[in-house]
Amino acid sequence: MMISLFQAGKTYTLKGKTTIPAIQEVNLNIDTGEFVVITGRSGSGKTTLLNLVAGLARPTSGQVLIESMDLWSMSDQEQSRLRNQKMGFVFQFPSLLQSLTVLENVILPGMYGQKNEKHLILERAEKLLDEVGLNNKLSAYPRQLSAGQQQRVVIARALVNQPALLLADEPTSNLDEQTEQEIIGLFKDIHDSREITILLVTHAGQLIPCGTRALQMAEGRIIKDEHIHENRVVRQ
Amino acid sequence: MNILRLALKNIADNAFRSWIVAICAALVACCVIGATLIVQGSENSLQKVFERLGADILVIPEGNQSDVEHALLMGVPVTVWMPRSVISEIAALPGVSAVSPQLFLSTMRGASCCSVSDMFMIAYDPETDFTVHPWLEQKLERELSLGEAIGGIYVTVSEGRDNILIYGYEIELVGNLEPTGSGLDQSMFFTYETALEIARLSPMQAERELVISPHSVSAALVRIEANADPLRVVLQIENAVPGVVAIENTQLFRTQRERILGLTSSATVLSIITWIMCIILIGLVTSLAITQRKREIGVLRALGASRARVLLSLLSEGMILSLLGGAAGISLTTFTIYLFRDLIIHQMDMPFLFPTPLALFLLSIGILAFTLISIILATLFPILHISHLEPGTTIKEW
Repeated sequence: MMISLFQAGKTYTLKGKTTIPAIQEVNLNIDTGEFVVITGRSGSGKTTLLNLVAGLARPTSGQVLIESMDLWSMSDQEQSRLRNQKMGFVFQFPSLLQSLTVLENVILPGMYGQKNEKHLILERAEKLLDEVGLNNKLSAYPRQLSAGQQQRVVIARALVNQPALLLADEPTSNLDEQTEQEIIGLFKDIHDSREITILLVTHAGQLIPCGTRALQMAEGRIIKDEHIHENRVVRQ
Repeated sequence: MNILRLALKNIADNAFRSWIVAICAALVACCVIGATLIVQGSENSLQKVFERLGADILVIPEGNQSDVEHALLMGVPVTVWMPRSVISEIAALPGVSAVSPQLFLSTMRGASCCSVSDMFMIAYDPETDFTVHPWLEQKLERELSLGEAIGGIYVTVSEGRDNILIYGYEIELVGNLEPTGSGLDQSMFFTYETALEIARLSPMQAERELVISPHSVSAALVRIEANADPLRVVLQIENAVPGVVAIENTQLFRTQRERILGLTSSATVLSIITWIMCIILIGLVTSLAITQRKREIGVLRALGASRARVLLSLLSEGMILSLLGGAAGISLTTFTIYLFRDLIIHQMDMPFLFPTPLALFLLSIGILAFTLISIILATLFPILHISHLEPGTTIKEW
């Protein structure tokens, strides 16, 4: 999935007075199949950049183009369909619905998708949960799982609609070191085995080698942009 | 997985919010159906009494209005007399199309010669009657014979007996009238001839003689001509016939009507206060619950739920709770009122007619819809507010 940001900016207004520029005049092109690791200190604008790309936040200036289409010229319905069909999300916080079982959480995006695909979603969800090693936890509730297991379920949910773009916002920040390695391994496998573009936000510099491209942000701007795996073929 | 199932899961998972909303819905439904049933039940009952009387004007001896009204509404027997000549005097007045006399009688209390105690009985003149006659024509297809009676819905023959014993006279109950929710349901109708026969035999058969003066009547039921002004006829009767009071049917049971009006006002005020309080409470609880679920809503938006789907999903939770709570409130209140309907009649000293199943069903549907709309209104503002926030903001703000 091709993503382009032109002079994109996002300013938050607090209590109607104070304005905080979270993103400033960002120009960025991401090609299909790239694994982009975005780093930076807290408040540098990483999450806001991810939200702009996903259409979860509206830029206060500039444009966000997905496959050459202006994201904000789309209706809410079209944007939602795009997110549902083309994007998968892995959040920093526990994002599973506590009232649903593991399997129900994974098939949840199917509820917002096309009706005739619902039986396929179920099959796919079971297969994905098997891939992330949780095929024995289908009926378990999130509270019965460890943080690492929950994050695996979230990854399965993110992939259930076979998205072209996977957006991950600090997916390992709440995990211990061993689980962090396992989750990072999962992301690598996903990138290697699927035609998928990944944008991964992290404050942990050691994750940079996992990606094909590294962006560093500070004060709402991209201050470093480099391709880090020259030997990896970037799918076009 | 669908919106309904997700809503049910969320309802179960947010027990505190769910209980508050459901209880408020039950309270709203309870207040509205309780007030409607009692007020409407009393009004319906009054209407039925009017229809049963079938007269445009009721003429009774002066000074007995409240006793006669109480007898007709609550079935408390009353014995009043006025000269029979009143009938011919009224019949001669312009605008009057028919006049029929009635005798108001009562059984004895605790006497072995009466199988029913303190029953209000009405004797009518079959030749002029237009009150009982239509029912007889429709159901019995003949006039009542000597010794026969029809009763209100609650008049029955005592166990172990074939007939009803009145002043030692065996009366055959040949049918029951439709319910009115008033004292007429416990009253009995028979002909003048039967009344006079009971009175004639009472010195030999009863513990006490039933005295009926052949020159007296208790009331005159008047029908006016189609183009006549009822008020004008009323004034004519009162001017032409001394010692009587003529009451236009719209002016009958004025005390009870005023009481119903007072009851309606109180019930309306109480319902409005409850409604406002419940709406505010539900609004606050929903606002609180939604604030706690901001992040979840952001996640759903990220997963592809459109603004409309999120709105529908959140509203459907309120709708399910309002339907469940409303149905519980309606059932419980209806059952309680049905169970204690006699107590309500006696405590309020007002007639009360429980609605037919169809009327009750339609009323329940209407009140459920009202409860549903109320809950939607109460939850709409916080839900609209959250659904219009940027998902990125709701995910971040927690």
